[in-house]
Amino acid sequence: MPSLRRHLPQYLMIAPFVVLFVAFFLYPIVSGFYYSFHDWNGVDAPRFIGLANYEKLLGSRDFGRAMGNLATYISITVPLGILVAFGLALLVDSFTGRWASFFRNAYFVPVVLPAFLAATIWRWIYAPNFGLLNMILGWFGIPSINFLNDTDSMIYALIAVDVWVSAGFNMVIFLAGLKNIPGELYEAARLDGANKWQQIVHITVPMLGPVMFFVITYSIISAMQVFDKPWLLTGSSFAEYGGRRGALLFPVMDMMGRAFGEVHFGEAAAYGFLLTVAIILLTLASFAVRKWRRS
Amino acid sequence: MTAPSRPRLTVWTVLKWALAILVAIIAVFPVWWMINVVFSLPGEPVSINPRLWPTSIAAGIEKIQMIFAETGYLRAYGVSLLYAALTIFGVLLIGSLAAFEFALFEFRGKRVLFAVIMLSLMVPTAVTIIPTYLLTSSLGWLNTMQGLVVPGLASAFGLFMLVQFMGAIPRDMIEAARLDGASHFQIYWHVALPLCRNALVTLAILTFMQTWGNYMWPLIVATRPEMYTVGQVVGLFNAPLSHQTVDVVMTANLLAAIPPLLFFLIFQRKIVEGIAMSGTKG
Amino acid sequence: MAMCSKFLGSVSALIAVGWTGIAAAQDVTLEYWVYSDFAQGDALALQQQFISEFTAKHPGVKINIVGKGDADLTAGQIAGAASGNIPDVFMNGIGTGAQLVEVGALANIHDKWMAMPEEYRSQFDESAIKNCTPEPGKMYCLPYTGYGSLLFRNLTVLEKAGIDPSVPPATWAEWLDQMKKVKEAGMYAIPDQALIFNSIAEMYAISGDVSTWGIDWETRTTRIDPDVMAEVLQKFVDMAPLTSGTSRNDQATKDLFITDNLAFHTVGPWVNPTYEEASKNGKLKYDFVLIPGDTPDKHGGIQNYEIIGVAPGENFDIAWEFASYVTEKEQMARWAKLLSRFNSNVAAMNDPEVSALPLISKSVEAVKYAMDVMPPYLVKAAPSCYSSTVVDYVSATADGDYTPEEGAKEMIAELNDCLAE
Repeated sequence: MPSLRRHLPQYLMIAPFVVLFVAFFLYPIVSGFYYSFHDWNGVDAPRFIGLANYEKLLGSRDFGRAMGNLATYISITVPLGILVAFGLALLVDSFTGRWASFFRNAYFVPVVLPAFLAATIWRWIYAPNFGLLNMILGWFGIPSINFLNDTDSMIYALIAVDVWVSAGFNMVIFLAGLKNIPGELYEAARLDGANKWQQIVHITVPMLGPVMFFVITYSIISAMQVFDKPWLLTGSSFAEYGGRRGALLFPVMDMMGRAFGEVHFGEAAAYGFLLTVAIILLTLASFAVRKWRRS
Repeated sequence: MTAPSRPRLTVWTVLKWALAILVAIIAVFPVWWMINVVFSLPGEPVSINPRLWPTSIAAGIEKIQMIFAETGYLRAYGVSLLYAALTIFGVLLIGSLAAFEFALFEFRGKRVLFAVIMLSLMVPTAVTIIPTYLLTSSLGWLNTMQGLVVPGLASAFGLFMLVQFMGAIPRDMIEAARLDGASHFQIYWHVALPLCRNALVTLAILTFMQTWGNYMWPLIVATRPEMYTVGQVVGLFNAPLSHQTVDVVMTANLLAAIPPLLFFLIFQRKIVEGIAMSGTKG
Repeated sequence: MAMCSKFLGSVSALIAVGWTGIAAAQDVTLEYWVYSDFAQGDALALQQQFISEFTAKHPGVKINIVGKGDADLTAGQIAGAASGNIPDVFMNGIGTGAQLVEVGALANIHDKWMAMPEEYRSQFDESAIKNCTPEPGKMYCLPYTGYGSLLFRNLTVLEKAGIDPSVPPATWAEWLDQMKKVKEAGMYAIPDQALIFNSIAEMYAISGDVSTWGIDWETRTTRIDPDVMAEVLQKFVDMAPLTSGTSRNDQATKDLFITDNLAFHTVGPWVNPTYEEASKNGKLKYDFVLIPGDTPDKHGGIQNYEIIGVAPGENFDIAWEFASYVTEKEQMARWAKLLSRFNSNVAAMNDPEVSALPLISKSVEAVKYAMDVMPPYLVKAAPSCYSSTVVDYVSATADGDYTPEEGAKEMIAELNDCLAE
């Protein structure tokens, strides 16, 4: 084939990635899809049961609850996280030299903490009555809030930890993007009499387009798969997870529980694909919004 | 009198500094608080607020020595560092090779392939973990370094990110290099890679964080103590019904955070240097 | 690129470090997985002594001891079963036994057990052995360590609340009365027992017993009795204003106890090291007693056991030998003495040096009354909705969303839904 020969360098360069991708991602995904139609405990031969896993999940209370929590969580944590990260990037960018790297390093500290460490710290900060946060609230006469056990506050407590951890991560990506915006653009805008705010709206945000899109998409995808923070904040185990009245129950937690707690690997795989469909729909929606904004 | 070149002290500057310092406190204080818990006497309540200073340096050192003596913590550092280093190296190399093509060239099947890879980004790892584990096991890679590293090398996330950055490389630079007689690989190595240095460093940091924090995969693949990663050693202390006291548990946790902190501080300098260099070149 | 070559340099250096220390195989090597606290410090030293005593008698056998946290044991054993890499001898909680049987990780040791001399078999707690034997001819585990939950009391708090700590509460009514006094004196009475399945079970045992607890797998229904549950839910309603808001397992709960803010903590003996440290370094005054029941002749609380299982496969015979050696009276007594921990070997518990340990003697007493947490064991894995439903309805009733009667009725209906396939 002439086109194959012409593009041989291309194929050679992507070969290592593609081979590993097919072996360790595509094959497991396809076999996971196959198992989702089977009753399978990971050991015995899978038994074909059609759509039973999917039916069972769609009718299960915990599935509905996990998806409901997820919807609330994503709709708050993604915009808030990005807003904070963008704000921090602008803040850091407005400093120069040593102070810029000092603040950047400081804001990145939560990102480098292993999740279990962050969860341990925050469990103490959130402790009712004597936790650090309730102590500070106490100075202002606000009565103690049981952040991690009061079903009204639990999800916000999670989101706060989430933003605390992820803001530095997204900030670094935004900063890398900010550095690529030519200074002349700001120069020109200043000469045209644009103030700081106008510069941000008319130059920074549009020029950050691809980076912004990357951050939004990635935030949505990782928020959909949220697992370790709520798992650790609620002190979950395979036998018992999700916190008081399931207020911090999320799909991947439920999936892991069904896999390792009940050894229903087929059902867990089906769960994964329902979640995947949801992720794909949301991502397509964000692509569509991007297209619509451009036109 | 301040020098005329210095910016005037405006309300905006004061607010900016106040905000920056406040955020820095929110970001760093919890970690400092944790350090203070570690350096306190065992049996002392954790919740004396606010814990502004360590109360017993000696007790903290004793705990750290105890943990190093009784667990394979130092060896786990080695395993985790090797795991992270190999993963970073592989992800950067394999990912940048592929991203170079996907971002800058047209070839048959590119769109479909890229779409499939991007779709895979949306499949939660929990779905694939058991089939991947079974595959790794049938390759005989349980309890080996390649078993830890290789399955994670084709990072769809890394590819996505590098493609975003490489897409910004001007096409005429590639053309110019080609006219100068550079081979395809030389263009990748001498033109594309240096231009996306910042993205590579960022990806290296993110990959390090992800690998260092990766818990589930090492847990099932590396079951022998000789192959325990830091996360697994910490897991020994984090059992909810553990007979360990709180401060010891926290010490084990804190020790796990030190390498990523150092790693980040070192690479921060690299980023700054990289930016400075591209500035002088232009 | 300079960065890349630096990378390569450090990588090759690290490979050299990482590749050492992978052991060569001997004649037979048994993988022996234990709880992480058994693979640290003194506990590890004693386990290694058991191993060397055993291998001295069985030349050519090598035993690798591997410590893992609770969830890691389960995930590792299930994944290992899927790929044919199950450890030869391993521990886990008996509550996880059903999953391990389902994936074929636990061999049927019935014939081996029956072949042991009566003198060995009679050492064990009968009900613990029964739990390992889901049906005649099928036995999947040896019971190992365990616990019966105790009521830890902060004596300083009780005194401050005007309660005489020398007499522990004899009934639930007395206990609740004390809790109210503690609250009136401005301290917390008890952790929020509604948060965790095990603490709910501890409270259920105050009124009910194991005959109305757990799952009936034949009919796929819960055995919970609505009247008993309604009575128990009433207790949660009564306790609701008195709790600290933290759960039985929270580290923060221990902190409240140490700082004289919490009067009672119903929990297993694993909190004792923390409390002991606090009483050594600080001024914590505490003791542990049995959890009161509705009547003076009854007690609340749960019991739960860790098990030792043996994997099927070519090492089965020698693995069984080792498992039975470790669980034998001699070893179990040394183990109990070292860690001050209760175990299922009654003969070892009766050893005078062991029964002189206060934590153990109290545990032996507690276990006589305590209720199994999640019976029947080793039959089927309870679906995750089971425990979450129990916790949800108890929480909701304590929050005032249901009356105790409604809560009990709704809970049982939903449990049966959850169990039905």
